[in-house]
Amino acid sequence: MSDNKTTHFGYETVSVDEKAGKVADVFHSVAAKYDVMNDLMSFGVHRLWKRITIDMSGARPGNQILDLAGGTGDLTRKFSRIVGPQGKVVLADINSSMLNVGRDRLTDQGYVGNIEYVQANAECLPFEDNSFDVITMAFGLRNVTDKDKALRSMARVLKPGGRLLILEFSKPTNPVMSKAYDLYSFSALPFMGKLVANDSESYKYLAESIRMHPDQETLKGMMEEAGLVRCSYNNMTSGVVALHRGIKP
Amino acid sequence: MDKKLLSMLVCPECKGKLKYDREAQELLCTFDGLAYPIQDGVPVMLEGEARKMSEEEKLEKAKAVKSAE
Repeated sequence: MSDNKTTHFGYETVSVDEKAGKVADVFHSVAAKYDVMNDLMSFGVHRLWKRITIDMSGARPGNQILDLAGGTGDLTRKFSRIVGPQGKVVLADINSSMLNVGRDRLTDQGYVGNIEYVQANAECLPFEDNSFDVITMAFGLRNVTDKDKALRSMARVLKPGGRLLILEFSKPTNPVMSKAYDLYSFSALPFMGKLVANDSESYKYLAESIRMHPDQETLKGMMEEAGLVRCSYNNMTSGVVALHRGIKP
Repeated sequence: MDKKLLSMLVCPECKGKLKYDREAQELLCTFDGLAYPIQDGVPVMLEGEARKMSEEEKLEKAKAVKSAE
């Protein structure tokens, strides 16, 4: 397993074997404050990005849905309503702290019956081939060590005709926006992280990992490489985030 | 463990079928000799978190799977 291959952890270069552990530490640290931080950092706009993801998923009653890296359950909650008693939503996350926060919250809010929880790694998903009508991964792919392997794994467990939606930070399309965004994310984000979650390092990682993530066209190419067809993307908030979609042929 | 979920789950390493050990709260892959824990009803499908079965246990559990089928 262990070799000399390296990868990115934000701007640091770390060995491939180290990355998952370092990402895990970030999310164990921020799990309890994850939702309030998302609202603060994005001025609440992350709710709109997620709403659009749900709308574009084409999810229907009776569907089987995988909410990958689903964390604290924002997408799962809405999918649970859409698929109804005949459908199923599997909330999967590699991180036990995030999964526990998500499960406790959804259960407290009365979302039970058609939601299941699984701790899993996106690179080697523990599901039968052709299991899901829709897979969503919102703000998760960035943290995966081997993104190509993860995309192939997602393609494998999609049903033919099934849809993959990746919501992720991307490259701002407008130079003014890009400058403002840089200033905001490298000074304001770690400060807010320190204030609210008492953890500026994790939010420094967030800002850096966003810059290292493949841009819109690169990710689209990676999805095609993984065997998906009709791949496309929509920029939101001037490309601060992008929603990529692909279909399993 | 939900039956429908159980039928969807496979070993993340070999993609083979799993056997549900209700008493031990584990999902067993007798091919890889891995026992995935179920913690508070949540299957932990990570190789690094799985218990490695001994050769004897592997054989014993594989037989048990066959007789159950």
